[in-house]
Amino acid sequence: MLTDSTRTQDGNQRALIDVIDVKKSYVTNLVTTPVLHGVNFSMQRGEFVAIMGQSGSGKSTLMNILGCLDTPSGGDYLLDGKQVSALSRAQLAVLRNKTIGFVFQSFNLLKRMTIQDNVALPLIYAGVSRAEARRRASQQLENVGLGEYGQRQPNQLSGGQQQRVAIARALVADPPLVLADEPTGNLDTKTSVEIMSLLTRLNREAKQSIILVTHEPDIAAYASRLVRLKDGLVLYDGPAATGLQQMRSEQSEQELGMPANEVSE
Amino acid sequence: MKFGHIFAEAFRAMLANPLRTMLTMLGIIIGIASVVLMLAIGDGIKKFIDKQLAVLGSNLILVQSDTRKSPGARARTGTTQTLTIDDAEAINRLSSVAGAVPVLNTFSQIAYGNTNANAQVQGTTSATFVIRNLRLGAGIGLSEVDVTSASRVAVLGKKIAEELFYKNDPIGQSIRIDNQSFQVIGVLDNEGQSFDMGDVGQIVLVPISTARVSLVRMQTPRSVAYIVAQSKTAEGVNEMVRDIEEVLRDRHRIRADDPDDFRVVNFGEIAKQGEAIGKGLAFALGFIGAVSLVVGGIGIMNIMLVSVTERTREIGIRMAIGARPSDVLWQFLIEAIAICLVSGIVGIAISMGLAAAVNATGMFELTVGVRAILIATLFSGFIGVFFGFYPARRASKLQPVECLRYE
Repeated sequence: MLTDSTRTQDGNQRALIDVIDVKKSYVTNLVTTPVLHGVNFSMQRGEFVAIMGQSGSGKSTLMNILGCLDTPSGGDYLLDGKQVSALSRAQLAVLRNKTIGFVFQSFNLLKRMTIQDNVALPLIYAGVSRAEARRRASQQLENVGLGEYGQRQPNQLSGGQQQRVAIARALVADPPLVLADEPTGNLDTKTSVEIMSLLTRLNREAKQSIILVTHEPDIAAYASRLVRLKDGLVLYDGPAATGLQQMRSEQSEQELGMPANEVSE
Repeated sequence: MKFGHIFAEAFRAMLANPLRTMLTMLGIIIGIASVVLMLAIGDGIKKFIDKQLAVLGSNLILVQSDTRKSPGARARTGTTQTLTIDDAEAINRLSSVAGAVPVLNTFSQIAYGNTNANAQVQGTTSATFVIRNLRLGAGIGLSEVDVTSASRVAVLGKKIAEELFYKNDPIGQSIRIDNQSFQVIGVLDNEGQSFDMGDVGQIVLVPISTARVSLVRMQTPRSVAYIVAQSKTAEGVNEMVRDIEEVLRDRHRIRADDPDDFRVVNFGEIAKQGEAIGKGLAFALGFIGAVSLVVGGIGIMNIMLVSVTERTREIGIRMAIGARPSDVLWQFLIEAIAICLVSGIVGIAISMGLAAAVNATGMFELTVGVRAILIATLFSGFIGVFFGFYPARRASKLQPVECLRYE
């Protein structure tokens, strides 16, 4: 379903992502708050990784660093072989444009722009001509099953449709990595299943590397690998099924230990 | 990202909030319209004066009779005739004078066959053609012989010739001025207004000797209404005025401490005064324009800052999917420039409308030239850059992470 991509050219020898002892702290009013204490993890091409963690676990911070929206205060982050912390803001923008496709919880489509132009925008920033960008956008909309919606405005579409448009936008520049931040957070269960099926299909059929950030175990279950964060450190890194099993037993232990408190993730 | 694309987005953003955009544009529109009108008025006055001087001839002065400040009643300027043809000849002989002509004026009925008209008839000499830049469309001008022999010949203005003869050839035809027969020997080609002749197209020129004998009754036979003199150079006008005053005081035997019995009017001075008034008006308009442009520019800066805040999330999304800081900077800068350029175009259109309205009255000619349009367009673009830069730079400095968190 995807056009054949360049990512297979250099094969699987080099990891897509290498996170080496990444630290991040925020400085506000001269108080330094450390959030990531040294995260290590790497990801190969074609993997489907779910990142889970409670609020305050550093999940969002790691997501921002992985998405090149923020740079680490310590350690190394290599994306597609490039040392990210050394890059300027403009270089980061180009890297995001070429390497990462974002899918957000609140869809984040631009108002006042047609669906087609929304999908074409990453290509426009990449310097592709408008006609070519629109052509490729239409093609990508076909792929997510919204071929006939190109001329509509975002607010004329349902949430699930908008999220599929966002996925089309994430894929249009053919990036090696798709970063989905709570992609089903604003959707009902039925639509969530549709969106997750679409992502799973992309991973299976087109070998699309996907990082999925979520707090819902049901959604994380679609991934093949699970990375759990706690207090700025990696708590678990392994097969999703095992990890989720472990989470469930932890939870039931907690419930047994503290029956009065309904603790949920 | 290509400029065409950014411009298209800028216009889309402007149309997203039309009322706000229009109110923002108002200051710039008024400012640009004032600046364009200022330039048009400046050009118009310059053209008007140039045209006057071209009709009139340049470096001219006019010497009028004036009453002496003697004991007793003081009569109105020009009512006593102290100047004579001989004075004119004496002035003509001065080394600083290029030429001097005596003038007698009257307002008479001109008739040809069944048609008749009223016109100013000016008795003068042949030198008037030279010093006033009068050109002949047909026939010949007055000659010295016509003046010495008091011939009954006339040279007609273009309009009066058309009025009397329609499309027939007036040359050689006989007309009647105050019921006396004159032969038409020439028709003038000049148009426009002159300080002492009024509409040049409506004038009738006859030899001064003929006018004195047949048309104008004067208290003394050799008196003239006034004398027009031209200096040899533009710088020499003041020197000529001094020379004329000296020779006339001498000829009129005025004692050293008595005032002149004549008055010198410097047309160049009048033209300069007109120019000064025009410049003052243009300056006032220019000032209003400048103030309006600065206030309008601040308004644009303000709205752009609001717009950047409102669209923080949009900026975050754009940055996430690959907009570089420079892309964001250009987007907002071009939006500000687009607002200013559209305002500039509207301002130019309004000033053109006002100029057309003024021109329609026929009193004054305002032309919005290419130069004014170019200046206005460049100026409005400059305001866009100047006042749009800070908000655009602020947008480009935003952090994508914070923008995406912004609700």
